[in-house]
Amino acid sequence: MDFELTEDQQTIRKAVAELAAKFDDQYWMETDTAHEFPHEFYDAFAKAGWLGITTPEEYGGHGYGITEASLLLEEVAASGAGMNGASSLHMSIFGMHPVVLHGSEEMKRENLPRIASGELHVCFGVTEPGAGLDTTRITTFARRNGDDYVINGRKVWISKALESEKILLLTRTQKFEDSPRKTDGLTLFFTDLDRDHIDIRPIRKMGRNAVSSNELFIDDLRVPASHRVGEEGKGFYYLLDGLNPERCLVAAEALGIGRAALRRAVRYANEREVFGRPIGQNQGIQFPLADSLAKLDAAELMLRKATWLYDCGLPCGREANTAKYLCAEAGFEAADRALQTHGGMGYSEEYHVARYFREARLTRIAPLSQEMVLNFLGSHVLGLPRSY
Amino acid sequence: MEWKLSQEQEDYRDALRDWLADTAPVATVRRWLDSGDISEFERRYAADGMAGVGIDERLGGQGGGVVELALTAEELARAAAPSAAWMATVLAVPALAGRAEVVAEAIEGSSPAAVLVPAERVPSSAPWLRVDDQGRVSGRAARVLGADRAGTFVAPVRAADGRVALRLVTADGPGVEVRRRSLLDRTRSVADVTLDDAPSAALDVDATAVLDEMARLAAVLTAADSLGAMQRMLDMAVEYSGQRRQFGVPIGSFQAVKHAAVSILVGVEAGRSGVYYAAASLDRAHEDRLRHAAAVKAQVTAAGSRAADTALTIHGAIGYTWEHDLHLFYKRARLDEYLFGSPAVWNDLLADSLRLV
Repeated sequence: MDFELTEDQQTIRKAVAELAAKFDDQYWMETDTAHEFPHEFYDAFAKAGWLGITTPEEYGGHGYGITEASLLLEEVAASGAGMNGASSLHMSIFGMHPVVLHGSEEMKRENLPRIASGELHVCFGVTEPGAGLDTTRITTFARRNGDDYVINGRKVWISKALESEKILLLTRTQKFEDSPRKTDGLTLFFTDLDRDHIDIRPIRKMGRNAVSSNELFIDDLRVPASHRVGEEGKGFYYLLDGLNPERCLVAAEALGIGRAALRRAVRYANEREVFGRPIGQNQGIQFPLADSLAKLDAAELMLRKATWLYDCGLPCGREANTAKYLCAEAGFEAADRALQTHGGMGYSEEYHVARYFREARLTRIAPLSQEMVLNFLGSHVLGLPRSY
Repeated sequence: MEWKLSQEQEDYRDALRDWLADTAPVATVRRWLDSGDISEFERRYAADGMAGVGIDERLGGQGGGVVELALTAEELARAAAPSAAWMATVLAVPALAGRAEVVAEAIEGSSPAAVLVPAERVPSSAPWLRVDDQGRVSGRAARVLGADRAGTFVAPVRAADGRVALRLVTADGPGVEVRRRSLLDRTRSVADVTLDDAPSAALDVDATAVLDEMARLAAVLTAADSLGAMQRMLDMAVEYSGQRRQFGVPIGSFQAVKHAAVSILVGVEAGRSGVYYAAASLDRAHEDRLRHAAAVKAQVTAAGSRAADTALTIHGAIGYTWEHDLHLFYKRARLDEYLFGSPAVWNDLLADSLRLV
């Protein structure tokens, strides 16, 4: 067992950290406050070729695995860019996986190079008001009509839709009640966000405001059958393969925020003097931070194992879910403690730990809640009776 | 209601505390536990007139109510007094309405009473024993608190026609077998009681209502017991951390130790407010008394268990030794968490009463 990262991985880490360092906390505070997409940041990463990190080489990418992608997002988050930085890149870095595996040659050649170059902004449309964790309950419906499908429905929590040109959209082509199994009858499309037929409304959020989250109202959206990814009715299965990597990537982001928060907390604890000594000398301050270090380190190891398994083609459901669970828990706790360490200044936006706190909180909910992870581990790994 | 004890209640508490300090200092308690014979405590408790407090005068007690019982439970736990017989008796009193002579014998110490419910169950959900049409009771009640000390049992029974009742059984009568079990907490005792056509006498009470009342009372008194143990462990932890020196200073000067002790204090303060409120709520037959009892049982005994761990941590290795007194209170608090129902079970009861989905 070798705990070292490969040379490539170490290089990637270092290079990403260097590039991300050009965008300081001030930049992120401003884009977050203004609810402005960080185009400068995105373009810098696109130009340096990072968006194509997992895209196959034949489509203009680098063909790396989830380990490298997670290192990238972890370092982005850890720079202080947090979820804003990570989410601006996330979909391009991995979200197109179903297209890579199941899309037509034409679809791939038309789109993947543009994603790798950063020119094509994309978003992921799965979640609905009535179907969050329970994906099979989506009702957005694609009705076949000649060579087209006509799609109607509603999506929610669609990150980056405002800035996106295309969407990877999950629909039903067969209703829940008419499907032999509940996981049948779902169909994926990769298609244009036609603003004439899709009303995009941003949602006001607690944090991560540089990247919008949106409600989508889809009204008679006509898409050619050539925009369908793979076969009708198999959409759910195409998504399944991407679920574990997705958990790893968000875990990496949570971990990165935790590191950023801890770094700021230590700095402040060394500098700030109260009662004639640095506050970091008080065990009430020091012990929580040391505890967070231990937990972040432990969570990191879990994440490394999960990404290694995935890249080796081995089952990784248990590990990916656990990595997300532990990284989100450790990351959020570190952010909360960093805020507390800063005292009143932590509550202001000036020291940025409040922003880390608001963003870290999201990782306990998305891409699936901590509770849902426990559901999975309890039933699928421990073999206890399913409770949901 | 008043948020403080009356003068009379404070005087009683102080008197009991003084009596316990004189009669049952911890060295004496250890001697009783090591010898396996705690009868001296029970005899003196009755003889010195302590045992009737909180019991209706019409039943031969000295008056007072649940608040007085809670004060008693707290002080007894604070002294780690071997008080299973007392607890079992006061929990049986609701079943013994109109049976002043049985209560009197129990208070005098000659014949403590015990309701045949397993000590780990909420009394109102305990299994029924069987009774035939001649009043002969059969079945086994496992792990009954104080059953090894009792002279009288109250048996919850169900007849063939499904009707339930409470019946009186003499502990040394025919068809009764009592087998003592050992507990980690040697300051209390439980025993398995097996009845085989044991003759019994009717008790003229509503069995279900009495067991409900017993459950509420058990919840509050166990929480009070936990509170007493918690308070004692806090006092010990503070004292120890003030004396024990490492790195040239008392360990109590380290923030981590201070904060740990404070976390126990927070549990004690919250517990004290909750327990006495719930006790007063039972005294007044407040319509929400079940919720109050459930809340304190779940919260305070869980806090007591955590406090035990924290107190042990503050003491370090010495706290783990047999020779140090901490383990008496540690084990007491840990048992209280599960005595008469775990926090989870009481939270379920509370949740049911709130009629959530």
